Amino acid sequence: MPGAMLLILLPIVATLLLRWFRSEKMQYILLATTVVLLSATALKLYFGSAVLTFHFPHWLELFIVIADLLLLLYFLWQGRRFDRRIITLLAVIQLLLYGWAESVLPEEGGAEVVVDALSTFMFLIINIVGGIIVVYAVRYMSYEEISEEKKRLFIAYLLLFLSVMNAVVVSNSLLLFFFLFEMTTLASYLLIGFRGDETAQKNALKALWMNQIGGVVILLGTLCAIYGYDTTRFDALTGSVGGTLLLCVSLVSMAALVKGASIPFDGWLLGAMVAPTPVSAILHSATMVKIAPWLILKLSPALGGTGVGLLLSTFGGFVFVAASYLALSRTVFKEILGYSTIALLGLMMALAAIGTPETSILTMVLIFFHALSKAMLFMTAGVVEKLHHLKDIEDMKGLIETAPKSARFILFGFVSLTLPPFGLFIVKLFAIEEVSHMLPDHPGLFLLLLSILIGSTLLVLLYFKVTAAILSRPSDIVGLGHEAMPSGFLLPLAILAVLVVFTTIRLAAVQQVADLTLFFVPIAMLVLAPLAYRWMDRFDRVKCYHCGEKESFDAALYYYEPTPKIRVAIYTFFTLLFVSVALTGALS
Amino acid sequence: MTTWFWIVMAPVLGGLVYGGERVLRARMQRRQGPPLLQPFYDMFKLMDKRTLVIHSAHALLGVVHFLVLWITVGAIFFGWNLLYIVFLHLFALIVLVIAGYSVRSVFSQIGANRELLALVAYEPVLLLVTVGFYLYAGSFYIGDILHHSGYLSQMPLLFLALLVILPIKVKKSPFDVVEGHQEIVGGVEVEYSGFFFEFLYMARFLEYIFIYSFVFLFGGADYWLGALLVIGTFILVNLVDNATARVRAADMVKISYLLALLLAGINIVWMLT
Repeated sequence: MPGAMLLILLPIVATLLLRWFRSEKMQYILLATTVVLLSATALKLYFGSAVLTFHFPHWLELFIVIADLLLLLYFLWQGRRFDRRIITLLAVIQLLLYGWAESVLPEEGGAEVVVDALSTFMFLIINIVGGIIVVYAVRYMSYEEISEEKKRLFIAYLLLFLSVMNAVVVSNSLLLFFFLFEMTTLASYLLIGFRGDETAQKNALKALWMNQIGGVVILLGTLCAIYGYDTTRFDALTGSVGGTLLLCVSLVSMAALVKGASIPFDGWLLGAMVAPTPVSAILHSATMVKIAPWLILKLSPALGGTGVGLLLSTFGGFVFVAASYLALSRTVFKEILGYSTIALLGLMMALAAIGTPETSILTMVLIFFHALSKAMLFMTAGVVEKLHHLKDIEDMKGLIETAPKSARFILFGFVSLTLPPFGLFIVKLFAIEEVSHMLPDHPGLFLLLLSILIGSTLLVLLYFKVTAAILSRPSDIVGLGHEAMPSGFLLPLAILAVLVVFTTIRLAAVQQVADLTLFFVPIAMLVLAPLAYRWMDRFDRVKCYHCGEKESFDAALYYYEPTPKIRVAIYTFFTLLFVSVALTGALS
Repeated sequence: MTTWFWIVMAPVLGGLVYGGERVLRARMQRRQGPPLLQPFYDMFKLMDKRTLVIHSAHALLGVVHFLVLWITVGAIFFGWNLLYIVFLHLFALIVLVIAGYSVRSVFSQIGANRELLALVAYEPVLLLVTVGFYLYAGSFYIGDILHHSGYLSQMPLLFLALLVILPIKVKKSPFDVVEGHQEIVGGVEVEYSGFFFEFLYMARFLEYIFIYSFVFLFGGADYWLGALLVIGTFILVNLVDNATARVRAADMVKISYLLALLLAGINIVWMLT
């Protein structure tokens, strides 16, 4: 327990200390120490692999109830303040449901906090990847035109958020989870609205009300668990059989769909892209949205092999395809990354909901590699935004010449998301193998298989369309420019890149599939190709073929925009699918 | 040892197929046509030409594309995991797409984009065919797949689906938008010349071997049936090529999804029940 305690308390301590660390150098020292300590603790817990439990003392329970009430009242106040009826309404509903749940709360043993293998695995992502992003945020915020106070406040938010996340993944009580879920909603709300302008405010409110729906379904699920099984514990609930079990589980898992920004809730994550980039990286890609697949994994013992599990798998598969498709119409780099995050979250939830040990491991590996690659991509997006003032992929044409370092990180990010031998690719490969393997006994998984196949190729199209903009160069007579990237940017990015390579090699080594080594040959060729550049000098250079045209012209990027009709159809379809999750739970 | 020999000879083999195809097409059009060895004469001619390069990365990516395709074909000859082979092929294709995008040439970039669209069109079908083999043979390994027979009776619609997407891969009408000689002058190929174009030229031979291997697999343990299927398909594809006009890139994707993917999907579902 002390390890997990440290992970929750240390960020809070660092936040309090931040007051006295005013200079940038001092902040780096404080944050680097914190992150190293957090990462080391997470690693130790991960390799320690003992299951620990912890029962809350009475005063702590009381504290959480009060904090929860204050939080909900704060949401209520925000709804009144900005005159958003839906927020007020949802806050009132949550208050009523929460009061109801507290009043019928059963006396039960069992621990509120359980640190199991899944939690320690999530610790790795939250503390290592999240920690790197916090360090990166110091340099990023130095470019913002706001007061020093506010910059420190921003870092403090991020640190507190790490603490909340560490608590989420050990919670074993539905009500504790509800509180922490609402805390992450609060974090989204505050951080998206951080810049305070009109769009930021609007998008923050959108994120608030959408995530509140998640809170409502968790509370409904909790009530269902209390009335049906006299428990609010995850493990007790997923261990029960019969009755209304599937209804309870399906209600709670709907919260995952909201947090994972699955369509029709994609709006809040897209809107979140107006926030400072470290927010996008930490909340909306690397850590917070990972609550979604985590929650499904947590519930998977009850979901596996049921109709609800199958429906969630199919839902996830469809989101994988639809979000990849919707991304093809976007021009803002961060929005493209956002949609691809939604897509991959869909895939993670789909795999998690199958609920076999193999698919659970695949989900975890997918979560891990996605966190690394997406954090790297979002951070690079932030670098390009701050150093080169580019946000739109249309303006990024020829980035490889003007900003070779950033361009290479983006390219590496895309390659690590799609191509062999990188972890994410291997997971997709194994997922296809595994689902094919299960197909004869579970024909229902066919739609998921089809979605994985189509979604993967759509993502390839998406990433390499963006690559087109970045790579295009007229010639190499003039060499690449020099990009001065501050080490506050370069180091975090480089660490992530090294982690991707290192963990990929480890993954391939653990698998002991000889054929996998075959995948390392092509990438080695690509990496070694520049060695031949000098030899290339013997060939004459030429300009591109223009078919006799005198005027210079440039190829445009392609966009695939769904017509309004198709768009409405997509959202209607997914809304119906979302509602049918609860219906299936109620009927089966 | 013989396997290695065939792997080394794969580009030559592919070259012969390509040459044979040109002869066949000429006969269909009642032309004299080029000699069988014309692809090799072309290669000698290319070697003699002055090589012009846009930039090093672009030229070398063409070489890498060829080498990765060669490894892919080698893996087929060794009877490896078909699923891995499809993804190795994907890697080779992405290298080519990156090459196409890396130059600021309109034709090359449009070509690369169409290369991606073609990928979106055929890749899911190819993977479904692979899954079909797995469901029937119980293994993804080509070695195991070739031990069973009776694929045609179990996977007829998957075979049809493969036939629909095959012209995309060998760049034949109605799905030759990727190359589109008359409109985008060869797409990605246009910026390659001399020595480096040779690699792209040979890569096309390897693509032939890659896609026709799938047709061959439908013969299963009966290699003669496999060979017959390959020859029949070969003639059919060229007939269709002569008889149809090019469709637009977006329509290629639509046709592939509405026809090939549907056929493949129905077949898989049918195999499961």
